[in-house]
Amino acid sequence: MPGSFSTFKLAGFKALLAAFALLLVFAQPAAAQLSFKPTAEAVHEDKLLNALKEGDKITGRISIPDKNAANLIQPAGRDWRDFHRGKLPWIGGIAILGMLALLAVFLMVRGRIRLHKGFSGRTILRFAGFERFIHWLTASCFIILALSGLNVSFGRTLILPLFGADAFAAMSHYAKLAHNYLAFPFMLGLVIMFLIWIKDNIPGKVDVEWIKQGGGILANGKHPPARRFNAGQKGIFWIVIVGGALMSVSGWFLIFPYLLGSVTELQVWTIVHAVIAMLFIAAMLAHIYIGSVGMEGAFDAMGTGEVDVNWAKEHHSLWAEEQQKKAGAPSDRTPHAVPAE
Amino acid sequence: MKSFVAAVAFAVVAAFGVAMVLNSYQEASWAAFTTSGARVGDPGTNLTGPT
Repeated sequence: MPGSFSTFKLAGFKALLAAFALLLVFAQPAAAQLSFKPTAEAVHEDKLLNALKEGDKITGRISIPDKNAANLIQPAGRDWRDFHRGKLPWIGGIAILGMLALLAVFLMVRGRIRLHKGFSGRTILRFAGFERFIHWLTASCFIILALSGLNVSFGRTLILPLFGADAFAAMSHYAKLAHNYLAFPFMLGLVIMFLIWIKDNIPGKVDVEWIKQGGGILANGKHPPARRFNAGQKGIFWIVIVGGALMSVSGWFLIFPYLLGSVTELQVWTIVHAVIAMLFIAAMLAHIYIGSVGMEGAFDAMGTGEVDVNWAKEHHSLWAEEQQKKAGAPSDRTPHAVPAE
Repeated sequence: MKSFVAAVAFAVVAAFGVAMVLNSYQEASWAAFTTSGARVGDPGTNLTGPT
């Protein structure tokens, strides 16, 4: 049949053409084969992020009043996550464990600071009841805040494996509530503490001399003069006030996050809260040490409010003198006869 | 000792007081974000679980 022969010839020709085209394709070198390079000209992630972001966020369009809902990506969030998961645990670990180690070494080397002349048995009032109340209000809140706060940073890693998920979750739930609510009496204690003790915590020349002599803490027998609070105690006072204020402000923003503009501010205040907390806890460990184990006779000041007269004369000689003058007792430095009543 | 016990008691009472005050301001999100333009109602147990 003539039609079928020509069809056959056409089909054969088409097949030959296809084979030839295929041969051409495979014959070309690989680079010239393709008209674009997907890896070289493809958009890189950072280019995309830089092109799209307005300020520090990549945003879309929204029709609801909450502007934060427009945020799609916040690239800085990765830096924040890296810091609070990477660097922050190291900062906290070094500060807190380092301080504990330092105190242990100090106790081993220096030992407990003893009274040279021993206890006289006579006492003098150091802190009134209200002062002790305010101190213990702030201190007891601080302990719970510190422990519950450390649970937020380290609990999942350190506590969860010990107690299991259910117990850890229950404990963390109540720890979080305690942390949020005890912050308020802590802030109250802080303000009152500032008001009642600011006048005795202004740095002066006596403190410069005290610091130059290292507080007498290292050398046995050396007791530089000090007023009601020595330079070390004034340092602790200001650490508590400034640190406590920073914790209060940052904590306020964390508990009422809608006060801030966006998540970026929240991240900054989270960092402030966490870093200051670690350093604050380390400083308070030193304060707790010296007020309990570190120095005999020290705890009585906040325990009963009364300290031994010999303790007062050794560690706060100028203050002891002032108190004795007020009480009308003869001073040790300039002895003179006390008129008979 | 008395001042310590008084301080701890005060802290606990204050914390409970603060909790009561703060919780009186707290609303469920569906109640807080409802406006005349947004039809957000009590989701009940649908999607967000029991309120």
